[in-house]
Amino acid sequence: MSFLFGSRASKTFKPKKHIPEGTHQYDLMKHAAATLGSGNLRSAVMLPEGEDLNEWVAVNTVDFFNQINMLYGTITEMCTEESCPVMSAGPKYEYHWADGQTVKKPIKCSAPKYIDYLMTWVQDQLDDEALFPSKIGVPFPRNFQSNAKTILKRLFRVYAHIYHQHFSEVVQLGEEAHLNTSFKHFIFFVQEFQLIERKELAPLQELIDKLAAKDR
Amino acid sequence: QRCESKVRNLSPQAFKFYMEQHIENVIKSCEERENRRMQLEKEMKKIGLSDKDQSQMRKMLSQKESNFIRLKRAKMDKHLFRKV
Ligand SMILES: [Zn+2]
Repeated sequence: MSFLFGSRASKTFKPKKHIPEGTHQYDLMKHAAATLGSGNLRSAVMLPEGEDLNEWVAVNTVDFFNQINMLYGTITEMCTEESCPVMSAGPKYEYHWADGQTVKKPIKCSAPKYIDYLMTWVQDQLDDEALFPSKIGVPFPRNFQSNAKTILKRLFRVYAHIYHQHFSEVVQLGEEAHLNTSFKHFIFFVQEFQLIERKELAPLQELIDKLAAKDR
Repeated sequence: QRCESKVRNLSPQAFKFYMEQHIENVIKSCEERENRRMQLEKEMKKIGLSDKDQSQMRKMLSQKESNFIRLKRAKMDKHLFRKV
């Protein structure tokens, strides 16, 4: 797994020089948890009566992929080899790319490379008829849920990178409420169906608690 | 550098517009779906369908809704990213 530094491992991990401790990105984000006036997202993520869970997870997974792809598309010029030589989410979390299929040994690479790999990998999964059938009547494969969980776990890392390393740019572009709303929708969805393990969410746990509390 | 990439540049305006529309649609389609379900219940009650027929009708509606989101997913995938 490319998830290297859980919170318990932080004692053995020295923060890197190029990521200043107490970077203002994350602090700023905690003060700017504005969202779009968006109605009740908590109930919108729930499984509609009579719906197949796989179908519901599939349509939402494609939706989140699109949102994250567009979001990252607005900051690609600021996420470069120079600005982000490693794929990190704050000083404590660093990700190395492996897809478990063609890339088994994790590759240490820059954030733009990592995110390229990641989005390309997700797109390939979504385009695979055997994994995400698009024709009426074709059933989902038996391992669909675990596939979807892996996709969502990886998509989360793009949010985590953007929040930790690019939030001030997001604010400059005036899209923080849009990012927060997209992320809130994503989090409500994965919480509803327990699709991402808690330890994977650690890089944004405070924000998650805050967004969730606002919506009770 | 990003030659074969799936990541494309996008203007913040386009992303913002998309998100505003999209969230509205998420809420709206959730409400509309619930309304269709309630509507069916109301009409079945009115004409006094048997329990068996009622559950048949519910199944038919669910299937229709399910097919609808499958087609939506297939469409979402292809149409969203045209080169700008
Ligand atoms: Zn970056």
